[in-house]
Amino acid sequence: MSDLTLAELDRDGALLDPLAALQGSSRAEFLSRAALGGGALLGALLAPIPAEAKPSHKQDVAILNFALSLEYLQDSFYTEVERMGGFRGPLGEQARTVAAHERAHVVALRDVLGGKAVKRGRYDFRGATESRDAFRRTAVAFEDLAVAAYKGQAPRIANTGYLVAALGLHTVEARHAAWIRRLAGKTPAENAFDEPRSAKSTLGVVASTKFVLQTRSRRSPRFTG
Amino acid sequence: MALARDDGSDARERAAAHVSVPDLGPAPFPGFKVGDPIPLGSGRFESRWAKVRVTTVARAAPRRGARAVARLSARTPEETTNLVLALSRVEDGRGRLWVRARLPVLPAGTTGWVRRSALGGYGVVTTRLVVDRRALRATLLRDGHPVFRAPVGVGTPSAPTPRGEFYVRNKLTDYRSPFYGPVAFGTSARSPTLTDWPAGGFVGIHGTNQPALLPGRVSHGCVRLRNADIRRLARLMPVGTPLTIR
Repeated sequence: MSDLTLAELDRDGALLDPLAALQGSSRAEFLSRAALGGGALLGALLAPIPAEAKPSHKQDVAILNFALSLEYLQDSFYTEVERMGGFRGPLGEQARTVAAHERAHVVALRDVLGGKAVKRGRYDFRGATESRDAFRRTAVAFEDLAVAAYKGQAPRIANTGYLVAALGLHTVEARHAAWIRRLAGKTPAENAFDEPRSAKSTLGVVASTKFVLQTRSRRSPRFTG
Repeated sequence: MALARDDGSDARERAAAHVSVPDLGPAPFPGFKVGDPIPLGSGRFESRWAKVRVTTVARAAPRRGARAVARLSARTPEETTNLVLALSRVEDGRGRLWVRARLPVLPAGTTGWVRRSALGGYGVVTTRLVVDRRALRATLLRDGHPVFRAPVGVGTPSAPTPRGEFYVRNKLTDYRSPFYGPVAFGTSARSPTLTDWPAGGFVGIHGTNQPALLPGRVSHGCVRLRNADIRRLARLMPVGTPLTIR
């Protein structure tokens, strides 16, 4: 985490927009609290969510967008695995099945959010979609993270209907987690109790993977001139 | 459940006596529904490209000591991000991933193995541009179906447009030259004869200030389109699109 820099974070808003909304500020305000350095930015990420962030429709939208950003990440990851077609047997079956689920999750969240849905980010999975070992490790991390992240936001959802739907997504993510843990040789259900994870902690984990690309910096890809 | 199957009042009374559950109401409705799992398409017309993240060497085989085929830099001669078309990949004995890539070098059709770590994330396109030198026509396919057709100019017999499999590397609009029209695409194809041109004689696909010459064999190897056609193509064709010149 100590090498976290702004350049490693998504600047298209795939993750920061939802996080800023959760903190009750605009993305620009959120970023303005951080100098353009790793330590300062990390400090901003670790700032507590204000107490006034009470359940509300606005916060529900922010939470759904936060969920959408995680679903984008998973959808992109598994879809790339499926497109590469490199895994056969149980691992390939898991990737194909979960990819189809994650795509359905993305469509559902985009539909309910309509024009308020955040855009999909750009990702570089750095070979994790091509190596069986790297895929297993990454998929376990993603699924465990998604399960904990949903749990972290569920109590803050104001709309009961959204909460019920979110729980439906959460339990499917938990099934994914158990499935890939089994394939990775890990105990599917390690503990008797699962801890929730906050949005900022979730973002920190995602940022540490360096899978989310920054696309507006001078170092970003430039295919036009 | 066994009590319910007895279907007798005694059984129901015994159940009520042992299980005291208040009426908790029906299960709540979700605020939105998730549809069925969405299968991926066939992928039959998909191509994958990746940017060159760091300068690297493409090799004849997927191993460190294999013969060097070409040096790949992170930038193109036009100062855009360089990219390669990814064709296949393997994992070597040490768990290192290698990608077989189509390369922007002579001779046409050259491929080489590049370390995966030297490349960025994959982009996917479902388009393919076909330039027919005999018919003097360009056709853009999307998912295998033609979505664009236009007459073109190609190279003269002394500076022919090379035949083979290539890809589109960049899209250029920030220059002021009526000769190239409003948009130019840079490709991985290189002229086999004009190798002393700046940057090595890469073949472009661009507009023109002499539309009356099209269709025809009029260029130094580039593919020329009328300005209205190149503008339309620019809206339809993403970078990374494979290019077939036949």
